[in-house]
Amino acid sequence: MKAATMRSVAMYAYSGILLAFILVPLLIIVPMSLTSGNSLAFPTPGYSLRWYQELIDDPRWFSSFVNSVVVASVSTLLSCLLGIPAAIGLAWGRFPGKRVVYAIVAAPLVAPIVIVGVAAFSFFASIGLTGSRWALILAHTALAVPIVLTTVTASLAGFDRTLVRAAASLGAGSATTFFRVILPMIAPSVISGAIMAFIISFDEVVVASFLTTGEQRTLPRMIFSGVRESISPAIASVAVLLVLLSAILLALIGWLQGRGARMRSRTAP
Amino acid sequence: MLMTLLVVPLVLFILVIFLWPVARFLALSVDNSDISSNLPQTFAAIGDWQPSQGPPPEAVLAALVGDLANARHAGSDGVLAQLINQRLVGTRFLVIKTARDAAEGRLDERPVKDALLAAHPGWAEPALWTEIIRARGPLTDYYLLGSLDLQRSPAGGVEAVPADRALFLNALGRTVWISFIVTVLCAVLSLPLAQAIVSAPPRWSRVMFAMVLFPLWTSLLVRTVIWIIVLQKNGPVNAALVATGLLGEPLTLIYTRFSLYVAMVQVLLPLMVLSLVSVMRRVPTNYMKAALSLGAPWLTAWRRVQLPLIMPGILAGSAIVFVFALGYYITPMLVGGPTDQMISSYIAFYTNTTLNWGLAAALSVQLLLILMVSALLFWTARAFMRSPAEATQ
Repeated sequence: MKAATMRSVAMYAYSGILLAFILVPLLIIVPMSLTSGNSLAFPTPGYSLRWYQELIDDPRWFSSFVNSVVVASVSTLLSCLLGIPAAIGLAWGRFPGKRVVYAIVAAPLVAPIVIVGVAAFSFFASIGLTGSRWALILAHTALAVPIVLTTVTASLAGFDRTLVRAAASLGAGSATTFFRVILPMIAPSVISGAIMAFIISFDEVVVASFLTTGEQRTLPRMIFSGVRESISPAIASVAVLLVLLSAILLALIGWLQGRGARMRSRTAP
Repeated sequence: MLMTLLVVPLVLFILVIFLWPVARFLALSVDNSDISSNLPQTFAAIGDWQPSQGPPPEAVLAALVGDLANARHAGSDGVLAQLINQRLVGTRFLVIKTARDAAEGRLDERPVKDALLAAHPGWAEPALWTEIIRARGPLTDYYLLGSLDLQRSPAGGVEAVPADRALFLNALGRTVWISFIVTVLCAVLSLPLAQAIVSAPPRWSRVMFAMVLFPLWTSLLVRTVIWIIVLQKNGPVNAALVATGLLGEPLTLIYTRFSLYVAMVQVLLPLMVLSLVSVMRRVPTNYMKAALSLGAPWLTAWRRVQLPLIMPGILAGSAIVFVFALGYYITPMLVGGPTDQMISSYIAFYTNTTLNWGLAAALSVQLLLILMVSALLFWTARAFMRSPAEATQ
């Protein structure tokens, strides 16, 4: 029994160290980004908010942030418009070739991102869309739509379809049934999927670096070009803000999923 | 019927915006139309003539001058010059200058041979004509062979390129090797953590799981950049090592194979933990208890009882990590050294810097093939593993 206890202590101690390896780098840059010095060094010579101020003052950082928000928002919207109907069709429809559909839609998930970027660049150049924000929005939609599809499909698996029939028998059309019955029930998953789609587009850098130049630069693209020159503490402060944003959005997803589970258990027969 | 229609827009979208562009790009690996369509008269005039039979006939040179003049007028002489230069280095200016002279009428006298060879003696070179003749047809194996460090010999067979130009087999081996090491590290490091998550009390289990998941949703770029900051010469790791007296002076940690492994393992580890946990949750704990109570030493019990049961999880996690690692680009580029670059970096290099689309496409074909073969291998291994594990459930 003693050996078992020791093994279990060792296991938890090891897990703690490994989790620290995963998480501490994300935290240690917080004090580093608050440096008052001109370069990133540890320990920091003193603390100040000057590099966060720099992000606000430099118009390039702000405009790239706006670009990222615009691209990610439109990609998310398109992903939902394409993904939600497809999820309903895949979850409830009976037709041959479902596996083929899944394989086609999952392809963007596994393809090496450089190939996606180069292919998108050559394709959008051939139809005259390079230098337009739409090229990046469409490419990001392809990368983000699988996550919307899988999240919504998963929530539909536990959906009680008698509710749809009940709505129809009470005279509701398909649009009314969708907006008044289906959508409210799957809303938590739809919002989770949308948030994840937003994160995917907002964080994506490789395709963005192939498709955008100058004015259309997204935030990750801006970080990427900054890293290749020399790392200014401003980059560390952007990194901190991006980690913070992910944390907030993930907490939101966690809350929504808890809510979704409660909602399903309430309506379950 | 309605349900099928709901799926159609998404499938069409992926086909047009994703699969078609990728297919179109990959096709460039065998595409030769930029050469064959720019030299139609030349190829017709060449007929059965071979450079070994002596200098190019008058008809061929006249056709060449005509084709080059047309290419210059159409604005495609630059592309043509670049493609010929890829095959025989040092011929770019020969093609461009000849095309300019041809377009401006300086090579209009007949016979053209004396004027052309006097102004541009490069066209008397048999090696150049060998390459041009080889590049006739609409398709070429030049890029695919090149991506494997192979080329056509003058006799037409396949041979290895000279050692100083051999580059890609090495890069390919390195890509597979780095991915393999990262996968093994992820699997070995994750096992105890996944076990802890499964056996911890529910509240702790949830907290640990969230801690593993969190980095998965922070940007890959940000996590990579953070490693540069953390591992740099005056970064926290070096500061800690020096402060504790383990090191006299800071070590070069960043831009090495070591930093590449550290960053890739940190980035990919959560994926491994995820698939291990999902399989471990379904393995009942009493098998291990039974083995231990029957007197098996812990290690034997784990190896003979627990390991086979969780093998499907290890294989699934390894498949995901390996396949993702194969395509890595940002991380090797930013935290690896010049000798740690993986295939993806070469694909980006040949499209961005040298505009050698054919070679970039050939390397992409290669990368996708490795990816599919390894996915297939993992899938087969899993199918074999599944039977004993399921037999016990």
